[in-house]
Amino acid sequence: MSAVVSAELLSKRFGELTAVADLSFELDAGTITGFLGPNGAGKTTTLRMLLGLAAPSSGRALVFDRTYTQLEHPALRVGAVLEATDFHPGRSGRDHLRTLGLAAGLPDSRADEVLRLVELQDAGERRVKGYSLGMRQRLGLAAALLGDPELLILDEPANGLDPEGVRWLRDFLRAFAAQGRTVLISSHVLAEVAQTVDQVLIINHGRLVVESSLEQLTGRVGGSVRVRSADAAQLQQALSRAQLQTSTSNDHALLVHGATSEQVGEIAFAAGVPVYELLTEGSSLEQIFLELTAEEQP
Amino acid sequence: MAQIRAELLKVRSTRTTLGLALGMIALILLFALLTGLVSKTNGLASPEDQRQLLSLGSVAGIFSALAGVLLVTSEFRFGTIRPTFLFTSQRPRVLAAKLVASLLAGIAFGVIGEGIGFAIGYVILVARGISFTLSGGDVTLLILGTLAATALWAALGVGFGAIVRNQVGAVIGLLAWGFIIDNLLFGLVPSVGRFTPTRAQDALIGLKTDHLLSPAAGGLALLAWVIVLALIGIPLVTRRDVN
Repeated sequence: MSAVVSAELLSKRFGELTAVADLSFELDAGTITGFLGPNGAGKTTTLRMLLGLAAPSSGRALVFDRTYTQLEHPALRVGAVLEATDFHPGRSGRDHLRTLGLAAGLPDSRADEVLRLVELQDAGERRVKGYSLGMRQRLGLAAALLGDPELLILDEPANGLDPEGVRWLRDFLRAFAAQGRTVLISSHVLAEVAQTVDQVLIINHGRLVVESSLEQLTGRVGGSVRVRSADAAQLQQALSRAQLQTSTSNDHALLVHGATSEQVGEIAFAAGVPVYELLTEGSSLEQIFLELTAEEQP
Repeated sequence: MAQIRAELLKVRSTRTTLGLALGMIALILLFALLTGLVSKTNGLASPEDQRQLLSLGSVAGIFSALAGVLLVTSEFRFGTIRPTFLFTSQRPRVLAAKLVASLLAGIAFGVIGEGIGFAIGYVILVARGISFTLSGGDVTLLILGTLAATALWAALGVGFGAIVRNQVGAVIGLLAWGFIIDNLLFGLVPSVGRFTPTRAQDALIGLKTDHLLSPAAGGLALLAWVIVLALIGIPLVTRRDVN
């Protein structure tokens, strides 16, 4: 099966600065890929090349085995949001969608459909300048979905979304990928996308650092859950019966390794041990992400 | 065709176009009142004076040029150029559609501007009992010339905007070009200055100022400006990366 998205030794240089260097990867249909890296790592530049907005200095950026500009009806195959603010403030959300829909040969009714999909149907006639950042994010997504594409490319979609919006987006992308469609989302914060993506591409200084499934990455971390309870000894026994390794922290709380807070809470409940405190230690995925992206410092 | 409809919707769906039209109307009213009320009766008697009075609507040219500039530069200013090019990755198609849409918008500006300017000028002449000395041919040339000129000005604005891209820079550049550079050049070197867009428009609508081109040559000069700017602007926009 051919890749939905592929980069082949893709490079972009701006004068002396190399923004993207010999980047190669392939994404299969039905996957959600997190495209990660610190700010300035070359994520947006890579996405712009995939979308035909910027020309590679060398190498190739392909979607559906073609360059974006070779696609006959690009909006019907690829939907993308690069900036949350790409609207004329004086134009209504619905008119924004209609201008794009006209160019793609789509009926106005499609604009209304995607407005409903992102729950902006009541704001469609209002000028975008009155929209909150979260509403603009959703309008951008609505525009990307106008052509009912098979591939979604979103640059930092979680920026400006409230927790509810982030959850909504996660559910939406999961359902989208479950239909066999493909998602590529970039972020500079792994934790933002960790619950959404199946696999990650991590780049730093324009080079690919890690390409792996999320499980493999999580496996390298081994996070722990900190739990403080009325009876640490009894809880420890219950946890070891559940094949979970524990250690004791210096303030008599238990650290449970390789478990989720849900697991630990349920075990404590089943064992009848009152829990006073339960939390996932640090952002351990985030720590390994920071280590990975720091290794490549020149 | 669908692309042109998309561009026409962009023109219609913000208040920018309305604002430009209102600004144009205000300016025409002001000029008409100043010229028509302040001039002495014998200053409005000759065909040339009446042509000047009735051609006040030709100021629509610069306004439709601004509309053309904004049709391109506002996309870069507000970032809508990104979704626009994502939906139509063949950039020359987008710019060609903008050229056609701007020609139509320019004609609309011309109809409004010349309609108001001509009507007010005519009312002033009638109200002051000054007899109408322009021939039917003069009037036809004035009206059709203005419509052609405003249409071409709008397309010229699209090309200019595609070259400059920065909205503030393009607006200031266009106003400086239209109001200062053309006038200076025509004043200092009329044999060259008569080819500038503003003087070409004067020729096209039939003004008889010294050194102007013939109406047909004026129209061709204005068309040449449109073509040259488009031929520079379209490849530039096509080749440059979009940030």
